[in-house]
Amino acid sequence: MRIAFVGKGGAGKSTIVGTFARLLARTGRDVVAVDSDPMPGLSFALGLPVIERPIPDDAVVEKAEGTEGPRYRLRPGLDATAALQAYGALGADGVRLLSFGKTRGDWGDIIRGQHAWSQILDELPHDRFDLIGDLPGGTRQPMTGWSKYADVIAIVVEPTAKSFATARRLSSLRDSKWAYHHVVAVANRISEPADTVTVAQRSGLRVVGAMPFDEGVASADRLGMAPLDGAPDGPFVAAVAALVEYCVARFDGSLKSQNPIKEAVA
Amino acid sequence: MLGSANFGDVLVIADLEAGIGTLTRLDAQSIDVVVVVVEPTPRSIDVAQRAVELATAREQGRLIVVANRVTGAADVDRVAAGLPGCEIVAVPHDPAIMDADRRGVSPLDSAPDSPAVIALIGLASRLVSS
Repeated sequence: MRIAFVGKGGAGKSTIVGTFARLLARTGRDVVAVDSDPMPGLSFALGLPVIERPIPDDAVVEKAEGTEGPRYRLRPGLDATAALQAYGALGADGVRLLSFGKTRGDWGDIIRGQHAWSQILDELPHDRFDLIGDLPGGTRQPMTGWSKYADVIAIVVEPTAKSFATARRLSSLRDSKWAYHHVVAVANRISEPADTVTVAQRSGLRVVGAMPFDEGVASADRLGMAPLDGAPDGPFVAAVAALVEYCVARFDGSLKSQNPIKEAVA
Repeated sequence: MLGSANFGDVLVIADLEAGIGTLTRLDAQSIDVVVVVVEPTPRSIDVAQRAVELATAREQGRLIVVANRVTGAADVDRVAAGLPGCEIVAVPHDPAIMDADRRGVSPLDSAPDSPAVIALIGLASRLVSS
């Protein structure tokens, strides 16, 4: 299963992704939490500290001048699975966090890591790992292919006008060249069942999960604790568990490698 | 445009994308004040520290930290401890803001007397008076 969570900044993507990945890992699967945000966030939900440079510079080699292809490739002898095991931080419940690192303003610092990250995602075997992705807020990364590893795009939507507007823009990913099998919505911070209906109507998307507003999650967040550690019995965790169950039943095995449209594009 | 237009006496308020990407592309001459908005959570404070470091290193003018959605003194203390030496303006957690957000209206119109709006009026006065 490969799902990327996108949405407006502050919609709750990292909190949902971290909880989703951990609950999925508890079922015995090999789960990779895929982080493409150059700012910290997801690691907190996985019980990990902020890791500035998870992938060392010598993980990649620069291509020879005059040759084709990306500027940096994983060094000879290092395949995607080995690179994931070497550089993916082991978080709570055995989830691997694959991140290219964080920046303090100098983007050159993370460019080698980004190349390694991208190649690892391109080459990881489909049948071994579940990929659960957390993208930065907004449309920039989703619209430029940063979630192309995914089969399913889950747009996290709060019941607010600005969140609906972002979700409607993101729903155009249905028609993108990356040929996602499903583009769906996950409603977050709902305070009544009618909110879920509103999210479906205003986003034009199928809503596959509805996370209630949970004061325990907000309190845990202030202490730097993940929902699963700070509010494990609350309604938020219960709703993410239901989403995991739904996704395993509905999306498991919807592999891109079996997608004729994707293969035609490639 | 922010870097090159002559705005004269026009006051420009820019709402930048999340993170520090846009800040890295603005030169010091384009900005008088950087307002860093932070929630009282470790992950938000970590990002704010990066923004404060960057704005300070680039001398992008006066720096104000807005501690948003605070529920009490402990929240403000948490932000102050993470961002020592910064001028901090606290904006309280306010259901009126959430309500306005859900209805897609401006809180200044729907709840002009709510605590968060009053705090933001205080921020505006502080900026205009200096």
